[in-house]
Amino acid sequence: MKINEKIITKIEGEAKLKVYGEEIIDFVEIEFYNFRGIENYLVNRHYMDALVINPRVCGICGHSHLLATARAIEDAFNIKPSKKAQILREITTGLEIIQNHIKWFYITFMPEIIKDKSKMLKAISIASYASKIIALIAGQFPHNSYIIPGGVTCDLTNLEILKIEDMLKILKEQIIKEIIDESGYSKDLEIFFENVDKNIGKGINRFLVLGNNFYFKNNGELELVKEEKKNVFYDDKFFEVGPLSRNLENEVVKMIYKKYQDSVYSRVFARLYEMVLIIEYLLKIIKEIDICEENYIKHVPKNSKGVSVIEAPRGSLIHRIEIENEKIKKYDIIVPTQFNLSSYTKENPSPAQAALINERIENINIVFKCFDICSVCFTH
Amino acid sequence: MKEALMNTMRKRIEELRALPGVGEKSIKEVLEENGFTRRDFLKWSAALAMTLGLPASFAPVVAEAAEVSDRLPVVWLHLAECTGCSESLIRSDAPTIDDLIFNYINLQYHDTLMAAAGWQAEENYEEALKKFAGRFILCVEGGVPTKDGGEYLTIGAHAETGLEKLKRSADKAAAIIAVGTCSSFGGVQAAYPNPTGTVGISKVLNKPVINVPGCPPSAKNIVGTIVYYILFGALPAVDNFNRPKFAYGLRIHDLCERRGHFDAGEFVEQFGDTGAENGFCLYKVGCKGPYTFNNCSRERFNQHTSWPVQAGHGCIGCSEPDFWDAMAPYEEPLANHKFMSVNADAVADKVGLTLLTVAGVAIAAHAALSAIKNPKE
Repeated sequence: MKINEKIITKIEGEAKLKVYGEEIIDFVEIEFYNFRGIENYLVNRHYMDALVINPRVCGICGHSHLLATARAIEDAFNIKPSKKAQILREITTGLEIIQNHIKWFYITFMPEIIKDKSKMLKAISIASYASKIIALIAGQFPHNSYIIPGGVTCDLTNLEILKIEDMLKILKEQIIKEIIDESGYSKDLEIFFENVDKNIGKGINRFLVLGNNFYFKNNGELELVKEEKKNVFYDDKFFEVGPLSRNLENEVVKMIYKKYQDSVYSRVFARLYEMVLIIEYLLKIIKEIDICEENYIKHVPKNSKGVSVIEAPRGSLIHRIEIENEKIKKYDIIVPTQFNLSSYTKENPSPAQAALINERIENINIVFKCFDICSVCFTH
Repeated sequence: MKEALMNTMRKRIEELRALPGVGEKSIKEVLEENGFTRRDFLKWSAALAMTLGLPASFAPVVAEAAEVSDRLPVVWLHLAECTGCSESLIRSDAPTIDDLIFNYINLQYHDTLMAAAGWQAEENYEEALKKFAGRFILCVEGGVPTKDGGEYLTIGAHAETGLEKLKRSADKAAAIIAVGTCSSFGGVQAAYPNPTGTVGISKVLNKPVINVPGCPPSAKNIVGTIVYYILFGALPAVDNFNRPKFAYGLRIHDLCERRGHFDAGEFVEQFGDTGAENGFCLYKVGCKGPYTFNNCSRERFNQHTSWPVQAGHGCIGCSEPDFWDAMAPYEEPLANHKFMSVNADAVADKVGLTLLTVAGVAIAAHAALSAIKNPKE
């Protein structure tokens, strides 16, 4: 059988695919071959240092890593931050998801078919508006450190909260006008799929949601997650994580899913439509902020273990920490890309492998990239 | 003096004007198409002149220089990093003249931002290197792993190591700019125990490298350095870590909005206390502003919106060499822990530690003294 090697670029790095088969893909192995070793740096440092180092795993979803780190430490010390702090965290991580999805669709995915730089510019301007709102709360984006175990460092006034609410409304208008509307119609998405079959890239049809931040509801237990080298199993099977998995409860997404199953189209649609759902959710919770609550609750460190799981832009993100004498003894990160892009056998393929098998070789880029792969996260 | 400077710039601009542009359209045309008036453009130029430390009367020349900037293409190379610096570049004023000029026209090759991918992308890169040899500005994002022949980072189908690709590209570049702390000093990859042997790019090149550190650096500093090169045909004045003085000439502490509280001995003792509510100085919860040279307190981030200290978290010192080791622990004052840190031995040979400690002791002494003297307590 003919074996091809293919390099996929523009996924914040590169991946190597070993493709078996000529016109139709018979089997595929996925390999990320760069290495940074972030977990090694953490050992023996003060536990608070993880808050500064971990966001540097990724420049696009670093804020989710920050939140996961803070929550893992909170779990270890048994701290519960105030509702106000939790809402502010939801707003900044929600906006991070929105800017990620915009950039992913217009900069990474769409140019596979449509090479139009004006669309890219439009996207960048909306995405940088979203990160401007994050900056109002967190100081800057990317790579801020305003989330700390026990709460947040910022102390917003009512005026600032009004301003943030106002900006969220403007952002929502822009998204609905320029990207995707509330009914789920997106001009750019339809243009993309004009000459692409909407049914390609069907995967394993098993969905997993582990985090329960935002409006998402988890459907799995953390104890059942197992990491073998870079492969991640749940209950000894592979599961797909990400926007399609966590939005299946929504009526509009469900309708698309019924029609196209877990195809490329459904995944891209869910990712775009999630922006509308998240911003509506943020506009709802910002009204519940009680400015008189504590920003931060003091904690006493002790020797302990903690774990956190959140829904990050690309799916469920898990952080585990072990603290001894205020120092990190062990740290472990499992990123969403590991769930989706594990590399295993033909009989038991990962979601991305299953989606690629039996597809035509010319569709390989589109099918692979529809998972919103982040190579820097994978090679952390 | 001023006139001599102006003449140098004009001469440089004339030289550049004689070269062909790299895009299909001129910068003027693109700006007009995207609805920017001449006035907007001049305002932007004036702001940039200020960033570069030039008098306001230089704004028209800066504008002229920006108009011919499409003669000098920019090639962007990714090494071991997180793409945060590219993120930083595209968050500059939206939808922005910087964006238009640098992403739309000049940027001949950028892994993440360009439209091409795969084989085509590699071809584009080689073509840009060949076509613009000796003329392009090479921006490098990310540190370069050197251990085991650099095999921890390979790029493209031929598995060329980052080290080889960097050396090859740098040979043909007119100017080399290290964007971010990783490419300047190694960054987080080079933190103890540095498993991949990552170093800043200047360590492996034998050409001058301008460092624009920060994690991530502000978009204004990146764009400012590029425009400086276009304006003068030379690299800007730098400090002893090769950082442009216009951006890294002062400490964060010097222009910090909370500086008054430092001088008055008013500190946040722990996050969430009354001091934090009143916006007091963050030194005692780990702010490294007094040891860090950068312009964050003046320029801020995300279109001048805010910066970490405004959001109540201290500066982590991200534009200093080896800050990952030298500035840790990040949430405590440097002077408290320096000699007890487990990694102190590991970093003792690294640059700046002694200097930092001396300054640290003086500043800590002030913090302690002013707390005693504070009449409120």
